[in-house]
Amino acid sequence: MEKEIYERLNKVFRDVFDDETIEVNSETTSKDIEDWDSLEHINLVVAVEQEFGIKFNMNEVTTMKNVGEMVSIIMSRI
Amino acid sequence: MSLISFSFLLFCIITILIYFIVPKKFQWIILLISSICFLFYKNLNIYTIIQSLIVLLSSYSFGILIEKFRNEKKSKIFLLIGIFIILAQLIYLKYTNVFLRSFNLIFSLFNIKYRFILLSNKPVLIGISYYSLIMISYLIDIYRRACESQKNIFKCALFMSYFPILTSGPFIRYDNIKDKLYSQHKFNYSLMCKGLIRILWGLFKVIVISQRLGYFVDTVYGNIYTYIGFYIVIATLFFTLQLYTNFSGSIDIIMGISEIFGIDLPENFRAPFFSKTITEFWRNWHITLGAWLKDYIFYPLLKSNFIQALTHKCKNKFGKKIGKKIPLYICLFIMWILIGIWHGGDYTFIIGSGILQFVFILIEDIFGTIIIKINDKLGINMKTFSYKLYQVIRTYLLFSFAMIFFRADSVINALETIRFMFVWNPWILFDHTSLYAAGLDRYDFGVLIISLVALFIVDIGIKKFDSVRDKLLQQNIVFRWGVIYLLLFVIIIFGCYGVDYNPSSFIYRQF
Repeated sequence: MEKEIYERLNKVFRDVFDDETIEVNSETTSKDIEDWDSLEHINLVVAVEQEFGIKFNMNEVTTMKNVGEMVSIIMSRI
Repeated sequence: MSLISFSFLLFCIITILIYFIVPKKFQWIILLISSICFLFYKNLNIYTIIQSLIVLLSSYSFGILIEKFRNEKKSKIFLLIGIFIILAQLIYLKYTNVFLRSFNLIFSLFNIKYRFILLSNKPVLIGISYYSLIMISYLIDIYRRACESQKNIFKCALFMSYFPILTSGPFIRYDNIKDKLYSQHKFNYSLMCKGLIRILWGLFKVIVISQRLGYFVDTVYGNIYTYIGFYIVIATLFFTLQLYTNFSGSIDIIMGISEIFGIDLPENFRAPFFSKTITEFWRNWHITLGAWLKDYIFYPLLKSNFIQALTHKCKNKFGKKIGKKIPLYICLFIMWILIGIWHGGDYTFIIGSGILQFVFILIEDIFGTIIIKINDKLGINMKTFSYKLYQVIRTYLLFSFAMIFFRADSVINALETIRFMFVWNPWILFDHTSLYAAGLDRYDFGVLIISLVALFIVDIGIKKFDSVRDKLLQQNIVFRWGVIYLLLFVIIIFGCYGVDYNPSSFIYRQF
């Protein structure tokens, strides 16, 4: 299931950041993706929410440190 | 009590001594008592007592209630009431006259004769802008389950009034500081040395650099019809440095003191003048305010149903790329107006530290990719040192330009200053006398240049290694203490303690 989540996340990341080369893993952070700044962060979060039909709470939005943390939250919700 | 005063030095020495003498379980009580003394120093009256109790009691009680009814709708209601009370008091005490003046201005524009009478100045507690926002974030964090509420009202009072942060911040978060704030701390010699070095560095920035720059800035900005052209250019460039050394210097003193208590505070500056864009600059300037606004206003606003619906509409109408930018810019605009209001609410602050910063960031965002493409076509390598230097200087100039409004007494005054700035008189820079007639003589300029070089080198170090102090402490004892004594003597010998010196004039203190 985790593999499938990463595949779907790749699709979301590529769509949000307009970059078909993006491959995320559990260690990926905002430093690894050039356009992933605080302005794009919410667009990404909302796109992930829509893809998986879940809601992140604000604490999770502001504290998640890497894609791995994002995946654990997704797994706990779906 | 000013950070640079004998009374504050004495206050800190006494607090530190008692803090490490009493049984460790009472340490937080000592901090609470000293914080209360600091909060009400020369300002103890019924108004200030009520002000502090309003914030303390509402954050304490609503914090517990939010937690108790976490899974019910009531929780949100308690959160909103708590925020409303704290915010209403802050707005009433700090911004009523700003609003009334705005209404009066609007009335005069429409020829309406009615005028609101401004409220007389009531005593306001020091640090109200800081502790009000800190306690709002405390309530929101409980609501978001980022932390538990504090059940001991006295511990809650310490979090609200922890004295080092009351003058100039930084903004603290309950979850990050609670363990250190209430836990027991052994006296640690190396921590004390580290704290003292940071305090000395802060004093150097404030007394040797900022105060000296202030003489020049005050002379020129106080007489813009006499000191025109390049005088204003230099004073404007100096003011930005004055603001930085004053604000970051006081933060250094604050962090040093807190470090001696064994309580780390979050960094508020990270060598901002090496930033290549205004966007990057604000990531390194007053970091904790930016983080506060991002977490508690910007993100919730962007994620709100209204903005999300707007994003959806804009994407359908203007396409994905442009569509998602429009709501983003609306939120950014709201945030920058709030930053301007937080800085004092006057139009000068709203323009200087709000609207102009927003405009710069907007231009950077819109034209950023276009400039990259143009440079690419022209074969300009953006990764070279010279290009980066150009970007850094451009950022400094843009920020300094905006700070004309921040420094000016009124918007009219700022516009006049800009008008007189464009007088061509470069000879004042080279005729060996003119420049020394605006508050600083040749000797002061010498001290200033050497001090700014030292600041520049240390800031490069911070940019590269995060902490220059840790590098210094790794050196051998002779070098280490040599630097520390040098710093101490420089502060004593070259510090500005002249008759004009007003130790209470911390630029950021009024916020």
